[in-house]
Amino acid sequence: MLNYIWFFLIAIALIVGVGRDISDEIYNPYRNGIPLEITFISTHVPAGSITRIEGYLYLTAKQFADFYGLNKESTEVRQPVVISFLSNGKGSFLISCSDSTPTKWKEMSKSASAKEQLSGRVEQFEFSDDEGWAKATIVFESIHFVKLKAITQAAIDFAAIAVEISLGLIGVMALWLGLIKIAEEAGLVKLLTRMLAPITKRLFPDVPSDHPAIGAIIMNTAANMLGLGNAATPIGLKAMEELNKLNPKLGTATNAMITFLAINTGGLILIPATAIAVRAAAGSANPGIIIGTSIFGAGCATVAGVLASKILQRLPLYKQEMPTQQKKGETGNG
Amino acid sequence: MAEFFRSFINLISILAIPLMIIVFIGWGFIKKVRVYEVFVEGAKDGFNTAIRIIPYLVAMLFAIGIFRASGAMEVLVTIIAPVTSLIGMPPESLTMALMRPLSGSGSLGIMTELMKTHGPDSFIGILTSTMYGSSETTFYVLAVYFGAVNIKRTRHAVPVGLIADITGMLAAVFICRILFGN
Repeated sequence: MLNYIWFFLIAIALIVGVGRDISDEIYNPYRNGIPLEITFISTHVPAGSITRIEGYLYLTAKQFADFYGLNKESTEVRQPVVISFLSNGKGSFLISCSDSTPTKWKEMSKSASAKEQLSGRVEQFEFSDDEGWAKATIVFESIHFVKLKAITQAAIDFAAIAVEISLGLIGVMALWLGLIKIAEEAGLVKLLTRMLAPITKRLFPDVPSDHPAIGAIIMNTAANMLGLGNAATPIGLKAMEELNKLNPKLGTATNAMITFLAINTGGLILIPATAIAVRAAAGSANPGIIIGTSIFGAGCATVAGVLASKILQRLPLYKQEMPTQQKKGETGNG
Repeated sequence: MAEFFRSFINLISILAIPLMIIVFIGWGFIKKVRVYEVFVEGAKDGFNTAIRIIPYLVAMLFAIGIFRASGAMEVLVTIIAPVTSLIGMPPESLTMALMRPLSGSGSLGIMTELMKTHGPDSFIGILTSTMYGSSETTFYVLAVYFGAVNIKRTRHAVPVGLIADITGMLAAVFICRILFGN
């Protein structure tokens, strides 16, 4: 199933990406090669021969919307710009993007040759009498293959992010594995598993109820519910390693692992701290109002996940992949 | 009452880790465990586990990354929105429902954006933040947890995760419509 979903994500991404780029070539939403008339308001005009002037590029909301064929309301555009002139009277311009840059231009700057900058040719430039402003005609650098460039960038970026996340785990992983090892040797984990045995026996019938895996599963679930992600992941991975010791067919997921993941991905959390923080930052009158609804949602998800794992593991399709499903207390045929 | 519950859980969350450290090590010391040696013995596996995850996480995040970058999400939303609007799920929240299992940072971005445009106390604001709190980033969890033990054949794990996600999202719509819908 993961093979199909993985392939689906990649195939859809490429099909949509190519499709959007082809439609861009046809409809030219970035107005490649089409001259745009702007008003230039100068702030700094050097004396003598003018080779480089700084100022603002100004467009009314209507001019901007008409040029790009936007039907959404846009605001007037006022962007700092630097214009350099060559000896033959032609020139080039450079706009550095900032927060006030229109969304359209920000999009364009992402696949322009210089990141976060827009550049192009100045076709015509005519100062007013007092040299305070000028009428200019500019043509932006042509923008092509926006989506394919974005896909390439994302592929490289996310590969790097994956390694960052994994390496970032080393420290907390070592910390929690060390602490749990002490707790195991001290008999604390056994104590914990014995207390919750009535529940865990039903959820994980294939795992002996005093197995270290059960202890890690309990601690992982508790840490998740308290929103302690830094502790939950290392302990959860420890649980997976312990469950894998009971795995008769290495490389294939056991029923117990899938039930454990169902509890984990249900995401039952008592205080959804991230969502509350975002709500508070957005100025909510009652950021915590979603606590109850979230617990309800996650509770339903967890119950559905556990039930689904119990039902689906009986299907012949999934059963045959784990032919020697371990019996209670056995470790299978190794 | 809700306020009390919240501060109570907050207190436990803050105390939990220091308490665990003290109890684990203290109890071990009383039970005459050679705490330092045992800690180091356990901790040395941390490196290998983290390294084992890398190929799984690269495979997963790269696929999700290019999916997000391509703008395929908007296409998917346009296709599915007519169906989900029948049960009263706004298209904005559908984006959230589709992104939540794929990407934690992506869904956080969508939630923040929707709060800004619709307001945190609007129906969409409450619904999307409930959705965010009702689920985990399923595919990330699958990659990391199975990666740690080198599991490639995931059997029914993906259908189970998706059933849980869909249930969570539908439950969020259901409860929000009852409590906050008009």
